Amino acid sequence: MRRVTWLGLALLTLCLLGTQATVGFTQAKPPITVALVAAMSGGSALSGEAIKRGLSVAIDEINARGGLLSGRTLELVVRDEEGNPSKGVTGARDVIEREKAVAVFGGLHSPVGLAMLPVFHELKVPYVGTWAAATAITRNGRSPNFMFRVSANDDIVDHFLAKHVIEKLGKRKPGVILENTPWGASNQEGLTKWFDRLGARPVGFEKFNWGDPDMSPQLLRLRQGGADAIVMIANAPEGAQVVKSRAKIGWDVSTVSHWGISGGRFPELTGELSESVVFVQTYSFFGKQSDVGERVIAALKARFAVKGPEDILAPVGTANAYDAMHLVALAIEQAGAADGSKVRDALENLGEHRGLIKTYRRPFTPEEHDALTENDYILVTWRQGKIVPVTMK
Amino acid sequence: MIVQLVFSGLALGSMYALVALGYNITYATSRTVNFAQGQSVMVGAVVAYALYVGAGWPFVPSVLATLLALAALGVLVERVAVRPFLASASIAWLLATIALGVIAENVAMLTFGKDARAFPSSLAQRAVTVLGAGVYPHELLVPVVGVALMVLVELAFRRTLAGRALRAVAFDHDAARLMGIDVTRTISVAYALSSVLAGVAGILLAPLLNVSATMGTTLGLKGFAVAIIGGIESARGIVVAGVLYGIVEAIVAGYLGTGVREIVGFALVVLVLLARPWGLFGVAAPRRV
Repeated sequence: MRRVTWLGLALLTLCLLGTQATVGFTQAKPPITVALVAAMSGGSALSGEAIKRGLSVAIDEINARGGLLSGRTLELVVRDEEGNPSKGVTGARDVIEREKAVAVFGGLHSPVGLAMLPVFHELKVPYVGTWAAATAITRNGRSPNFMFRVSANDDIVDHFLAKHVIEKLGKRKPGVILENTPWGASNQEGLTKWFDRLGARPVGFEKFNWGDPDMSPQLLRLRQGGADAIVMIANAPEGAQVVKSRAKIGWDVSTVSHWGISGGRFPELTGELSESVVFVQTYSFFGKQSDVGERVIAALKARFAVKGPEDILAPVGTANAYDAMHLVALAIEQAGAADGSKVRDALENLGEHRGLIKTYRRPFTPEEHDALTENDYILVTWRQGKIVPVTMK
Repeated sequence: MIVQLVFSGLALGSMYALVALGYNITYATSRTVNFAQGQSVMVGAVVAYALYVGAGWPFVPSVLATLLALAALGVLVERVAVRPFLASASIAWLLATIALGVIAENVAMLTFGKDARAFPSSLAQRAVTVLGAGVYPHELLVPVVGVALMVLVELAFRRTLAGRALRAVAFDHDAARLMGIDVTRTISVAYALSSVLAGVAGILLAPLLNVSATMGTTLGLKGFAVAIIGGIESARGIVVAGVLYGIVEAIVAGYLGTGVREIVGFALVVLVLLARPWGLFGVAAPRRV
């Protein structure tokens, strides 16, 4: 009996020593953790998956080069916020306090990004948005500002859309149809401002609720008001109903849209009507690619069930996230430490970087925390269910 | 513009009426309704989508299988969420059916996904012009089927033995039981029937609304409003109220703006409740004290 106990103790000691040894070994080069807090389930799950893919491809590249800070590998942890702001807050705290993330990437939902904002300032870790476009996420009046973004910004998108309608299409009386949500309101503000600066006044701002089946009353009001173009702020299901109602009342009018309709199955819901809408994206994997683009597509093909650009669903998520990860990596290297505050400072002072979407001269400055500007947006449409740049038609 | 709005309202209103007919059948027999009726519509659309589009079955077997599944669902709802609470005269069935609806919605999100999917219909591809207004032929199908179902339900209630049993149960549970009618089973049948109606609505509306886990939520609510306005015990009243409600909604949205649509719509419900608690077409029941 006693002998058995001794043997057992000896064995236990050996085991402990063994684990100690391995722990000691990894502690020499602990990985650097970055986190993604985004919608990984529910209606916007596609966007979360696309962002995760973009981050993963960039992380693979960085780790293959030997990691950061002389040999520390990058590691990604993911939390699902389910589109729920309070879950986003919990997730952000969790990845920073327990997982020691030095930077947190954000997903599609603006309300979640806005809700997490105080957490990043309290815990002093930078947030880098890869999708959510609400203006106030980055332009929040905080100093130092921990919120960065490699994605569109409603205010800039609204200027882009307004300019297209007035200058390219030569229309003077746009009608706006938008969803009855904070996102809709954010764009109503932006569009009012920019149309006004361009000397035009929208004939109306018509609203709809999520799930509304028929948008013809709203469209009839715009048509009665004399609208000569439609600006649409909608996600895929409601955007589809707008386009179908427009066809129903036999109104052949130019329709330009924010990018919400690219987050779902718009072409499936509208058929060939999808080709009558042009909308905004930050990147397209179709057409001639730079060598970075070729490399990313090849990596996506190798790692995921992707055969070509048509299989890259929610492409802006992947493209924005890929560039965002590389910019964060540069900042970590420049900061010389896996420390949130230092990484934040470094982000504001990065040099030139050849990314996927563009070559960033100086991605962020203390005043400008949006890495993408209006010049980086492209206008696209659907052709046979695929997103293609308008210039290619 | 007015013609266009009336057509829009007609299609929408008949959708509400279709859903509301389901409330009518169960309320008449058991004084309870399935508050998850909107979600039953969704289940109908999702099951039909899974069979017809997903599994590639031909249309008719898909529809039959869907309706069978919905009948089973109705029986289940009654057994789980209604029957246990009937005896105690509590209104726990109200919460229980709402809970089942939430469960159904979340199960659909998990299995079907939350993306809206298109349900193909050759009648919803191209709009035609009627009286100067554009309309998808499928939209005209909704009121036709709605009225047909209403007539069918009324005839079945009056002419068939089972229908008479349903009416007898509606009239007085104890008297019906004394006459040898199996009241429990009759209520179960009413739930199955109501659920089948929801299934028909789901299949019929799928091409217009697209199929999604949340497609039934608003429909269920508006359907109930219509049932209240029309008089929950009158199938005819429900159909008339449904169409009127849809048209009022469209006209208010078209002339006053979409912002006031729900305000006017639901204010109407309150007004009707105040003026005629038994609904526009219902009959005031003498209160037995």
